[in-house]
Amino acid sequence: MAATDHDDIQPADARPRLGSITLAALALPGLLNVAHAESAPTDGVISVKLQSYDDRQPGLDRIRVIAPSLYVLAPVASNWALEASLVHDDISGASPRWHSAISGASHMSDHRTAGTARVTRYFDRVSVGVGGAFSEERDYRSRAASLDVRWSTPDNNTTLYLGAGLTRDDINPVNGVVENEHKRSNEFMIGVTQAWTKNDLVQLNVGHVAASGYFNDPYKLVDKRPRERDQTTVLARWNHHIEPLGVTIRSSYRFYRDTFGIRAHTATVEGVHPLGERFTLTPSLRYYTQGKADFYYDPVYDPVIGEPYPPGRPRLSSSDHRLSAFGAITVGAKIEWRIDSRWSADFKYERYEQRSNWRLGGNGSPGLARLSADILQIGFSRRF
Amino acid sequence: MIALKIPITPPRAALLLAVLALSSLTGCALQPPQAFEKGNLAKREMTFGADPLEDAFSQHVYFSKEAASGGTGVGGGGCGCN
Amino acid sequence: MDVEYAAGDDAEDHRFRFTAMASPCEVRLAGLPRALATAHAEIAIAEVRRVEHKYSRYRPDSIVSRINAAAGSGEAVEVDAETSQLLDFAAQLHALSEGRFDITSGVLRRAWDFRSARIPTPYALAEAVAQIGWPRVQRTPETVVLPDAGMEIDFGGFGKEYAADRAAALLERDGATSGIVNLGGDLRVLGPRPDGSAWSIGIQHPRAPERTIASIRLARGALATSGDYERFFEVNGKRYCHILNPATGWPVQGWQSISVVAPLCVAAGAMSTIALLHEDTAPAFLASQQVAWLGVDRDGDVIRHGLPA
Repeated sequence: MAATDHDDIQPADARPRLGSITLAALALPGLLNVAHAESAPTDGVISVKLQSYDDRQPGLDRIRVIAPSLYVLAPVASNWALEASLVHDDISGASPRWHSAISGASHMSDHRTAGTARVTRYFDRVSVGVGGAFSEERDYRSRAASLDVRWSTPDNNTTLYLGAGLTRDDINPVNGVVENEHKRSNEFMIGVTQAWTKNDLVQLNVGHVAASGYFNDPYKLVDKRPRERDQTTVLARWNHHIEPLGVTIRSSYRFYRDTFGIRAHTATVEGVHPLGERFTLTPSLRYYTQGKADFYYDPVYDPVIGEPYPPGRPRLSSSDHRLSAFGAITVGAKIEWRIDSRWSADFKYERYEQRSNWRLGGNGSPGLARLSADILQIGFSRRF
Repeated sequence: MIALKIPITPPRAALLLAVLALSSLTGCALQPPQAFEKGNLAKREMTFGADPLEDAFSQHVYFSKEAASGGTGVGGGGCGCN
Repeated sequence: MDVEYAAGDDAEDHRFRFTAMASPCEVRLAGLPRALATAHAEIAIAEVRRVEHKYSRYRPDSIVSRINAAAGSGEAVEVDAETSQLLDFAAQLHALSEGRFDITSGVLRRAWDFRSARIPTPYALAEAVAQIGWPRVQRTPETVVLPDAGMEIDFGGFGKEYAADRAAALLERDGATSGIVNLGGDLRVLGPRPDGSAWSIGIQHPRAPERTIASIRLARGALATSGDYERFFEVNGKRYCHILNPATGWPVQGWQSISVVAPLCVAAGAMSTIALLHEDTAPAFLASQQVAWLGVDRDGDVIRHGLPA
């Protein structure tokens, strides 16, 4: 057979037809119209979780909360994602007590419904999200809106985060002490997430909230707080994967400061341990410490009058234990079970202990009973 | 470890935790990963905020028991939890 | 990353050379300043390495190795979307080639040792052929099971070509419109030279490694070549090459090489291999696939089909 140029058919204007193998190849994903680094999730998720919180002080069961919750994540088209969540708290128990002397507990029962929704649009290396949240209780209603922007570098190792939000709350305590009070807050946050090595991810966030309005606790006899509260937080967190063990250590530290005069530190660490192919065990530890607010006064129980009165007649005062100086430790463990490629289940138990003498450096507020709480969560999740 | 003469109070335990966490970083040079070696970073346990319902409940519990709040993001809204 | 830079034909023509999948590779980008071209090339090369690492037979933690290690155990190995789609593609190639293209046929390398240049015994060959059989592989969209111990899959039949297409997709995404991704002779053209003219691609001479036997002009699309000269030995004047018929275990005869032009490299590569597996009926097969091709027949004559002179 002599060398021949079979300069065959295929005139320039022939309609190109695609053979079966070319068609099969075109069906492979990721070869045409490849999206950028900030890409929408490919899988949707539905999760339900039942959470319960149960706290007590010595000799007194205090608050019990049972909260079923639902979360949905749905990718839409190829560049959008929708997220929504709903939670309903059933709250029952004694209203808050502050100190070791106990007067009669007043029982209460309340409900709270809260939800969030968020829409995110993904562009080349940038994603923008808009979200809203609401919370409804008999005496408190909250509405919030937020905007967030994430921008990634081309190598996808660095992501910058910018967030802004505003919250408007309406307060109508059932005891009628005040009516139609409001609280507004505006918040901003900037953050950076960085892949340090192939096994390390770190994040640093700095946030600021400027809030004004009604901060008092209307259910306490004497509680007068400022009408402004600015808060600043700095959070650093670090996920470190240890390859030979398959274990991941997650740790974080948060510094908090506000214009009530409170400074707080929070440190957490947890270790994710795979157990076989399907299970994961994550023990966790959290330490929290806070100083007291400038206007906090130690409660002294008066056997005649009952509820404590602040010495003198200060303009601002509160004996709310949440504004006192104390430390708290949470110990917990979570088990996750990957049932198959779509279903998974999880169970978590935590024990929370709050004690004034656990404050970092000592000098916890005196006269406060220790608080213990059991927190349980059980959940199911399906990918679709 | 620490001599038993010094009582391990929770504040000191927290400090020890921080030291242990940081010490696992020693000895690794900081080398940003190439695109083909990001398999571990994509694991679920390496993601921040992988379980939104758990995070939301935790934040709610701590918001009602402690003065500090926030740090991870904006726009969660408030509540009247006293 | 061991990438070598060489200047191209002018100040804005850049050639980035590296080794991947045991082959000399090159990302060539034109019409861009060097810094920008370097940034694009790094992304493209990283993607080639990602595909190489993920589907490598030689890394014990790769998905392919894990699937092969679980052969015969009954354990269903979970695969991600990318792997699942590639297995779908392999299934279609098996069907469209009437069983000639079979990604379980890699076990034949146990019988054919090209370094020792020995023809295998009929027993050794039969043993290897018994482990071949894509229809026996059990799959769901998320899992794959090799039912018999000794069975193996590998993506050598289109892995390099897939990596070339993936690298090209990222370059296109980032706006590169002129250049070539060339992985060991399987290549994808991003677009014509900045002046609009096509690239001139030389076809390796099957019997003279330093020479080309023909050239093809391409402005876009992909070109892949399969030949009997990549791994072979000769006994008594007869050549035994690495392209083996999965049904008989014997190497193909009839062509020295076939090069196929198609929109995607993974398609061109599959077709060039399947064409060799068709032996004498290769031209009819390629005609049915509506592609332009160039073949060097057993006598060394060049046959072009659908390609301008």
